[in-house]
Amino acid sequence: MTAHLTPDLLSALADGELSAQQLAQANDHLAACPACTAQALEQSLLKSGVARAGKRYVLPPDLQQRLMRLTAAPAPRLAESGPALRASASLRFGLTGWAAAAVLLLAFGGTAIVEHNRHDAQVAAVREDALATEVFDQHVATLAASLPPQVVSTDRHTVKPWFQGKLPFSFNLPDALPDGTTLDGANLSYLRNQPVAQLLYSIGRHRVSVFVRQRTAPTAPDFNAEDAGFHVIVASSRDLEIAVVSDVDPARLSAFVTTFRQAQTEH
Amino acid sequence: MTLLLWRRAERDPVPRTSVFEELALPLLPALYNVAFWLSRNPADAEDLVQETIVKSLRGFQSFEPGTNFKAWIFRILRNTYLTSRSGLAALRTVALDDELAEAELHPEGAIDRGTPELNFIRLNDRAALESAMEALPPPLLEVILLCDVEEMKYREIAAVLDIPIGTVMSRIARARAALRQALESRV
Repeated sequence: MTAHLTPDLLSALADGELSAQQLAQANDHLAACPACTAQALEQSLLKSGVARAGKRYVLPPDLQQRLMRLTAAPAPRLAESGPALRASASLRFGLTGWAAAAVLLLAFGGTAIVEHNRHDAQVAAVREDALATEVFDQHVATLAASLPPQVVSTDRHTVKPWFQGKLPFSFNLPDALPDGTTLDGANLSYLRNQPVAQLLYSIGRHRVSVFVRQRTAPTAPDFNAEDAGFHVIVASSRDLEIAVVSDVDPARLSAFVTTFRQAQTEH
Repeated sequence: MTLLLWRRAERDPVPRTSVFEELALPLLPALYNVAFWLSRNPADAEDLVQETIVKSLRGFQSFEPGTNFKAWIFRILRNTYLTSRSGLAALRTVALDDELAEAELHPEGAIDRGTPELNFIRLNDRAALESAMEALPPPLLEVILLCDVEEMKYREIAAVLDIPIGTVMSRIARARAALRQALESRV
């Protein structure tokens, strides 16, 4: 049997950083060495444990707003110090020149605003797509998993308290659900690197995932999306963003979202 | 003149700051998380992230499009941390011992093959892991955060920390050995 794997090699194996040759040699050794195999498994578990435990601190919404303003603020200044102002400095040939500069300024200003709005819309669309995809993926992964939810209960007074200390925000679960709708349980999950509540409901035989997270953008519009027969509805309440995904009839899903959203305004 | 200006505007329709926003904003949660781990309090973490954003915005002209923005901005965060109050305090109390011989880096028992297994259940104990991570010295904590939480490759971590890839590899191994020992000592 070849020499035991060193700590560096075991670490690099868990990180997928071994060269093809190193990997082949490591696999040869692991096939014959239960001790190193146990260590390799432990390294992988440690890595995934650290990945979960390391996502500990959530960006405060007010800091995010401040930073967003900070990154957005220099844009107009850059535009002002760009081509338009340089043009005005060089156009020193009387009133006609200044008039031309003014027209140019208006033209460039208008173009910049239109371009900026178009750009914002594109960025918003990409973000919506990304959120819908992430929500869809997590729902499908939940359906595919053979494990039960982390908290299994049909009682909202059991499910909601389970999140105490796990999430930096709170939310309400509706008391009266639409006909045929039941609460199945919940998971602690992550969306966009933020901890979220994944509430699991059934509408008839259709499974529904409701992701509840702290709202980060004050003006985020509601939107619907569809992917592979699943419907995603994203809606906001005062402090929360709710993303709901299921393959149930869109009208029933929409009625459920309305109920869930209304519950957030109750005390 | 007008024609030249028009052509210039056409070539660069999206301001650099807009590009910066698109690249930087999705990384804010990750920057804050790492900043909090390193500085160990919310006020310093906020200052650290804010200063990082200001510095990176100011230096964005030097960022080469197409290269790794995440490694670039994390390097700024890390350098800002090193010159911060908490970073300087950490540097004073922790010796970087990468120069030590290999035998000293991995003392006997760092990998305990005599024990059948570390209790795997403890590896899923989030609170225990968080405590063990809190006890790590900053050079080991930062490398394990970049590797496991930020899922950076060794060469990206080497660029962020400005150290050779071999040193990245040994620091990660040492960080995991320290975490493992901390978890075992909780029994």
